[in-house]
This record gives sequence, C-alpha cells and structure tokens, in this order.
Amino acid sequence: MSAAHDSGPSGEACITCGDRALPLQVVAPGSEPGLARCADPQGREEEVDVGLLGPVATGERLLVHAGAAIARLEGER
Amino acid sequence: MRYVEEFRDAELGRALAARILSLAEPGRRRKLMEVCGGHTHVIYRYAIDELLPDEVEMVHGPGCPVCVIPMGRVDDGIAIAAREEVVLACFGDMMRVPGSERSLQEAKAAGADVRVVYSPLDALRIARAEPEREVVFFAIGFETTAPSTALTLQRARAEGLGNFSCFCNHVLIEPPLRALLSAPELEIDGFVGPGHVATIVGARAFDFVAAEYGRPLVVSGFEPLDVLQSVEMVMRQLAEGRCEIENQYGRVVPDEGNPAALAALAEVFEPRETFEWRGLGEIERSALRLTDAYAELDAERRFELPGARVADPVECQCGEVLKGAIKPWECRVFGTACTPERAIGTCMVSPEGACAAYYNYGRLSREEQPA
Repeated sequence: MSAAHDSGPSGEACITCGDRALPLQVVAPGSEPGLARCADPQGREEEVDVGLLGPVATGERLLVHAGAAIARLEGER
Repeated sequence: MRYVEEFRDAELGRALAARILSLAEPGRRRKLMEVCGGHTHVIYRYAIDELLPDEVEMVHGPGCPVCVIPMGRVDDGIAIAAREEVVLACFGDMMRVPGSERSLQEAKAAGADVRVVYSPLDALRIARAEPEREVVFFAIGFETTAPSTALTLQRARAEGLGNFSCFCNHVLIEPPLRALLSAPELEIDGFVGPGHVATIVGARAFDFVAAEYGRPLVVSGFEPLDVLQSVEMVMRQLAEGRCEIENQYGRVVPDEGNPAALAALAEVFEPRETFEWRGLGEIERSALRLTDAYAELDAERRFELPGARVADPVECQCGEVLKGAIKPWECRVFGTACTPERAIGTCMVSPEGACAAYYNYGRLSREEQPA
C-alpha cells in the first residue's frame, strides 16, 4: 500500500476532500519528468506529480493531494 | 511525529476552549460554519464539539464533493461504465454514492469494469497499460483536486493518448458559498474556511465573504488544534466587532495561492454555465468542464450520456443538512433507513459527510448531543 492510501488523520477519510492532503518527503527522482518518488513517515513510497511546484530536491517535504503535490512544507512553522 | 503531535496537545486544546468561552457572550448563540467536510470529520473524530461552549454551534457546510454530486451525474457515470469497451476509474468514495437505480459498486457487481484509483495519474497508467480499453476517469473534487486532474490531462494530451478521457465533475468553492450567503434563511455568524482549497486559490480568494457579505472567515488547517484556534479567531473577531479574512493555516496557505495550479486549471478547464448541486439546486458557473483545446479528452463529448436530472429521494433530507438547516439526527431516515452501510443520501456515504460523521462518532440523537 502506498503512502497516500490510508494514512489520513483517521485512516478512513475521503480522498476527494482537503484533509487527505498528506505531508510526504521526496526520496528520489520519479520514473518520468514531472514526477518524484516520495515517502510518508512510515517509509511507504509513491510517485507524486510535482508539476505544480517546479523542481524539487531530495529531502524536501511536500503537501500531497490526490497524487499531486500542492505545496512545499519547508516554510511550515 | 513532528508537525502532528504539537497540533493534538490536549492541554493546549483545553486552553483554547477556555479562551473561546471567554470570548462568548453569555446567552448569545453564535453559528459558525465549517465549509469543508474534512473539518466536519476532524470536529467529530476529536470531539471538538464537546469542548465548545453552548454559545458556539458548528454548522456543517457543503464542502464535501461526494455529498453534493447530484444523482443524475452518478447515473451518467454508470452509463459510461456500462459500455463494453470502458474501464471507469474513480476514487473509492464514489463507489457507494447512490444513483437513481444503483451505485457504481452495484454496477461493478453487475459486470461493469469499475476500478478504484487514488489519483488521476493512476487512471492514466491504466490507459497506458491497456491500450485496447477506453479508460475514463470520473473526476470529482473542489479546487484542491482539480489541479491533479489538470496535470494528468496535460500529460495525456502531450502523449497523444487516444484511449483516455475525463468525465469532469469538478466544482468550485466560491459559487456555493455565495449561494449560501445570499439565502435569507441562513443565520451564519462566521466561517472556518477550507485550508487546502485555499492552498490552491489563496486566502485572498475569500475576501468577498467579509467585503460583500459582512461575515468573518478564518482559513484553517486540519489538525484538532488548528480547528480550535480557527474557532477562537472567528469568535475573537465577533467579540471585537471585526470582520476580516484571516489565515490560521499560514504555514501552508499563501495569500495568493499556487500560481502554477491556477494556470493549469485555466488552461484545461472553463466554468460551466450552470451545475446542479445536491440540496442547493442549480448554481451558475459553479463547476468546471474541459476547454475546447481538451475536447478529445472529454468523456462528455466522446460518449452519449443520459444527462437526466434526477430528483433526490423524497425521504432524504441531505439538502437541508447541507444548508445547515437541520442537524443530521433530525433527518427522518438518519440511522434507520439511512446508514453508512446502506446510504440513501450522499451525506451518509463519505466519511466527510456530516451524517456519516455524526453516525460514526455516536451523535445519534438530541439526547446524545453534548450538554
């Protein structure tokens, strides 16, 4: 099972809704341009579309919703 | 876990609740609407409602995409799925949403090739792997989800993928909010705003709520303390006589949103003249369709659809729940004929639906409301 599939706040939340956006960390380049391999804190990995953010670096934390990164979390305070 | 535990600290929660109580005017009940179904879910999962004083009532808004999709659109999706050549890919939450005769889950049981995916990109991958099949992605969601669909459609178009298309049901947050704010019977004092939609559209996109309708709104994160702090910020505005758009979720939400996402949305989608919302009726320019540049990827142009408008079941009161007019347990079929296992109304289907949140977390009747 990949990262985004069951690890919302409740593990049962709805993917179409905002609270399924998950913080994931970039671990490697993706299999095609515009994708990046990302992992959740448990180490479960999935490929994420990072086209909305531009280039991302290994180690960056991203907010991911429905397979796409929608924000960087580096500025999280 | 960093970034999580500090947002679930019980002591901090109680301190925030005490501040909310201090901001409440004794005997004056304030109705605050959490727009997003994700917030509804957090409020009941973490019993935030039980921390709030009697003077604060949370009303649950229309921000659950599954809950607002009309039956006619579900029927259209089922009609696409019934075609021999089609694989219909959809989010799992859509599977149990009732159409006029059956759900996608029942259509699948009857032989339709309906597959659950976790992203539009997963649907695209099915199309690549099975070039002999017509793969249709059943797209739903607000501005949070629509950019992911847009990126996938851009990818499909660049690849010239001929066996992929999108049945687009993406909706926009501003038009239903305006519809709610314009309704004379609605008595909402302030709003807890949708944090992840705001990640895309920006906190400033909600300025109209304060400027045109005179209601405060606080864009909120999704951890329990985020929601409590947002309630505290709305109550503080009310107590101080202010009416502003504030951003509690500044660690993620920029004022101006995500420009790349907004550009992708503008290239791939355009507003429909009108779209039917369950419980709210037709709302002008409230949903998206594919632009002419993406016509070849538009399932509505590729397949003939019934396109019928279907009235909701008469016993279902989802519309009143979605408008905040009644609490879920006041619906005549709540918890009896309508349960998460066998839902009549969409609000019972999705975990973010107000009815499912009440049912799953034991708010089953007036007696079980917190004192």
